[in-house]
Amino acid sequence: MSIDKTEELVLNMGPQHPSMHGLFRMIVHLEGETVTEIEPKIGYLHRGIEKLAESRTYTQFIPYTDRLDYLASPHNNWAYVQTVEKLMGVEIPERAEYLRVIFGELARIASHQVMIASTALDIAGWTAWGYAFRDRERILDMYEMTAGSRLTVNCMRIGGMSAEPPAEFWPALESFLDDTPEMLEEYYGIFFGNEIAQGRLKNVGIMPKELAENLSITGPVLRASGVQYDVRKAYPYSIYDRFDFDVPVRYGCDSYDRTIIRMDEIKESVKIIRQAIRDIPEGPIMAKVPKVIKPPVGEVYHRVENPKGELGFYIVSDGSTKPARVRIRPGTFVNLQMLPIVAKGWKIQDVVAIFATLDAVLGEVDK
Amino acid sequence: MQTLNNLFLIIAHFIRSLFADPQSVWANLTMDVINFIIVVVIIVLAALILILLERKVAGWTSMRTGPNRLGPRGWFQTIADALKLMGKEDVTPAGADKIIFKIAPMIIFSLPMMTLAVIPYGNHMAPIDLDLGIFYFLAVSAISTLAFLMAGWGSNNKYSLLGGMRAVAQMISYEIPLLFSLLGVIMITQSFNLGDIVKAQHTIPFIVLQPLAFVIYIIAGIAEVNRAPFDLVEADQEVVAGPFTEYTGLRWGLFFLGEYGNMTAVSALAATVFLGGWQGPFLPGWVWFWMKVGVIIFFMMWVRWTFPRIRVDHLMHLAWKVLLPLSILNIFLTGLGIFIYRLVMGG
Amino acid sequence: MFGKGLFQGLGITFKRMVGPNITEFYPEQKPVLPSRVRSSMGLQREKCICCNMCAMACPNGVIKLTGEKDEESKKRVLKSYHMDLGRCLFCGLCTEACPTKALTVTQEYENAVFEADDMKWDMIARAERKGKEG
Repeated sequence: MSIDKTEELVLNMGPQHPSMHGLFRMIVHLEGETVTEIEPKIGYLHRGIEKLAESRTYTQFIPYTDRLDYLASPHNNWAYVQTVEKLMGVEIPERAEYLRVIFGELARIASHQVMIASTALDIAGWTAWGYAFRDRERILDMYEMTAGSRLTVNCMRIGGMSAEPPAEFWPALESFLDDTPEMLEEYYGIFFGNEIAQGRLKNVGIMPKELAENLSITGPVLRASGVQYDVRKAYPYSIYDRFDFDVPVRYGCDSYDRTIIRMDEIKESVKIIRQAIRDIPEGPIMAKVPKVIKPPVGEVYHRVENPKGELGFYIVSDGSTKPARVRIRPGTFVNLQMLPIVAKGWKIQDVVAIFATLDAVLGEVDK
Repeated sequence: MQTLNNLFLIIAHFIRSLFADPQSVWANLTMDVINFIIVVVIIVLAALILILLERKVAGWTSMRTGPNRLGPRGWFQTIADALKLMGKEDVTPAGADKIIFKIAPMIIFSLPMMTLAVIPYGNHMAPIDLDLGIFYFLAVSAISTLAFLMAGWGSNNKYSLLGGMRAVAQMISYEIPLLFSLLGVIMITQSFNLGDIVKAQHTIPFIVLQPLAFVIYIIAGIAEVNRAPFDLVEADQEVVAGPFTEYTGLRWGLFFLGEYGNMTAVSALAATVFLGGWQGPFLPGWVWFWMKVGVIIFFMMWVRWTFPRIRVDHLMHLAWKVLLPLSILNIFLTGLGIFIYRLVMGG
Repeated sequence: MFGKGLFQGLGITFKRMVGPNITEFYPEQKPVLPSRVRSSMGLQREKCICCNMCAMACPNGVIKLTGEKDEESKKRVLKSYHMDLGRCLFCGLCTEACPTKALTVTQEYENAVFEADDMKWDMIARAERKGKEG
């Protein structure tokens, strides 16, 4: 009576699971510990933001964009207001552009810090998580003193910025930039340099260049697969053509490179902010826009480089005060496609690590 | 000084002297019961202190204060947690194998009681002075694998099952280097008795003679008690809480007691075998013993709050391809050393 | 060299362990928030001209206000002002829309309540109560 029969184990991970960021759910088919198939299930955080936009005026929709990728809310504001400005043909003041760059890059640093932290946490590096979050607090403090909120910043308006940073903002920013090398060294020392962490991430979850391009992956995940594509360089928006910065690329295509490329990007962001501080002119921060925003009839698509990928807004205007249709192209939603393909054949814990390196924010995926 | 050193022996002697015949069956039975209670108290106290210390260390490493609400600097926090656990509902999952599910935490809790009973806490202070001390210790601690598997299987939960299977793979693998690392010491002392091993370290602790064995023992010991970076069994990011997922209330508390008891036991064995046990100048022996245990436990916590979790295949590679050959090499070198020593000393 | 990173990590955590900690002892030491923080709204009744700009700026219809014409001064005065904080995004668009700065953001952040009905704020009553307390 031999019963040496093996059976596939179907494991439901999420939406309530310690390592599922937000409300992600995946059904994992297991052969022992090896994953044979993954079915990602999304939609648990769906709030119908695109539909909500149709019943809000153009200005009223700005706070909702905060709730897409809530780890980098200035970027969402930015993408949206620039789309509307493009539709209306509004030129915004120089100072507002520079402030937008500063806030956008701060958001990029904050978002990457969260990414490093959560990847460390997903491979059980509790203390590394604490350090990155500790440093992110300082960025949130800067948001708070300028725009009045820490997470859903809501700092941009159609035509400019909501508020001029207060006097204490600039010294805080300078000291933060001065401390970033030390922070990065600490993250490296406790997380990236650790052989156990390297063992967990290196050569795991290989996404070749061709696959990444075919899946239209964007953002750091794409650049870790050796494709030098960044919207800021490829299709410069705002005033990014004035800054001297590099687009970091790594060729390892594995989880480790997808994680450590964020460290390189933080360094580049610091470079951009320093140039912005140097060049920022005095002047108004709001363009002359009418109180009631009524863009002309038409449609427009605009994209920016969100910390997690390419974020695009497509707006159709029927000439009224409310958009007729808003379509959001979130970066991580598209990037998430790679999970079932790349994670196949790895162990459960590697799948967790691969998912962490995607830096998925479910607010953006589910909209 | 001498009185303080032998404090517990004097107390034991006094209790025995209360009986008409100090060596009668009844006197022995009374002493056994007292010893049993002492071991249980050690485990409970260890758990109470260590859980708090763990949280404090976790806090300190990430620049926090840790628990600080209850009592002076939060030192009563674990007591409150224990009370909370007692008040919780005892849930048994509907599809669980009820007997196995309920026995598993009891086994986990009973193991450190059995292992800690043979540790010499001071000169002649082993609750049970067993001639095969190390042998018994390792044999008993190997049973914990079974308890984890029982918990994982009995819970009728896929995460628990995965955790239980991981426990079997991991703990059996690390049992072997753990055992081999201790063989060098046994070769030198020619004795399985823990008391004799401590006495043999009168001049020099064995960590000096057996540094490699000590490192292997610590690594394998951490893996044996399922602590980070080898906490794959209860890896919460992957298998939620492994075998403990379905447990609540006191049953879950028993797992915790068992975990910290096991950790104390493994540290106590390390202190006994490698760090000279209760041997030490100036202070009473039992103080030295607990200080050495404390240092090892602190090191384990420090490691836990620094390192991420190891990959499951690297875990196996480490055991079979690194630690096992090294421990065999250590045995070989020890034999060579003993041979040369005898040759030189003309023994 | 294998193991170098491990010791480096241990060194970092040890340095942090003995170093100072940054815990904020919240209920004992209350943080001082910057004056722009949008953690709740405050109304100055006498400044309000009942223009309804705040209610119109609100993305979620949180604000409901009524006013009546004062016979003597020929101005509109506020009769009732209600905010349903359960629907509020704390975006601050209402305070930006207010032409007289009658509605402002305030830094009271301890807004947790036990009943859903407690989130419906009567702003006039709140303003008066605060005047009495402060």
